[in-house]
Amino acid sequence: MARVPIIRIRDVLIASVQEELGDDDVIDLQERLNDIIEHGDIRGVLLDVSALETIDSFIGRSLSDTAAGARLLGAETVVVGIRPAVAITLVELGLQLPRVNTALDVDRGLELLARLVAASERVIPVAEEETMEEREF
Amino acid sequence: MVEQVEQQQEIIEEQRRTIEELETPVIQVWDRVLLLPIVGSLDTARAQKMNESLLDQIVETRSDVVVLDLTGVALVDTAVARHLAETVAAARLLGADVTIVGVSGRVALTMVQLGIDFSGLGITTRATLARGLEAAFHKLGLEVVPRRAMTEAAAAYARNGGREE
Repeated sequence: MARVPIIRIRDVLIASVQEELGDDDVIDLQERLNDIIEHGDIRGVLLDVSALETIDSFIGRSLSDTAAGARLLGAETVVVGIRPAVAITLVELGLQLPRVNTALDVDRGLELLARLVAASERVIPVAEEETMEEREF
Repeated sequence: MVEQVEQQQEIIEEQRRTIEELETPVIQVWDRVLLLPIVGSLDTARAQKMNESLLDQIVETRSDVVVLDLTGVALVDTAVARHLAETVAAARLLGADVTIVGVSGRVALTMVQLGIDFSGLGITTRATLARGLEAAFHKLGLEVVPRRAMTEAAAAYARNGGREE
């Protein structure tokens, strides 16, 4: 069984898949991620799949589910490092992962995550803006 | 005689390779922006090759935005539309957004009559390459500003002793 290491950096979790995943591994990863997000005040999750040479329909659907689950718990998910050949296969299988955010690599994924988190937090700074304007008067 | 035929065959083979290379050029027009001009018809084999070279280039140049220029395409039927949709979906899996530009009025009309709707597939479209580039810059948070306006802004900034107006 290939246990996927999960690293926490501030409020972001990085799960870096190291070898081909079986169905059990995916479920295990999903459960551990949800556990941490539930208790850990997590804002973003990065799933690095650059080591994967194949992504079958089960893993593809699990990626979507993991993202949807994390979103319910208030965290955005970005899947990074999908290889060109894997992307072509996924599209041919009809798995276009429409509701999963994707990025080229971990670096770009962090960039995108920062933007997504900022967008979802936009509700709070409104109050801050108001108080700042009041201060000016 | 045999020699002559072999020679001709060699020339044909060489030309075929040249055409293949010309078929799917991927041009980096700006940091993080790729341009894919498509000329002629798009069959399955060509679409697959185009797809592969585009995805490889996205990884190699670490691009975020792809502008697909259909100016040289005379007809977009349902098969071509499906190929384009696949290209867009695959590029998105690598984290790149695709904008389609250069659909002529006549082609657009045919597409509508065939019931092809790109917006339903989540594809951005712009009329011209220029507008497509603009959209790409916008996505990257860049802006093209006339030089004069910029120097004026800089002068105003200096006048105010480094404070913005």
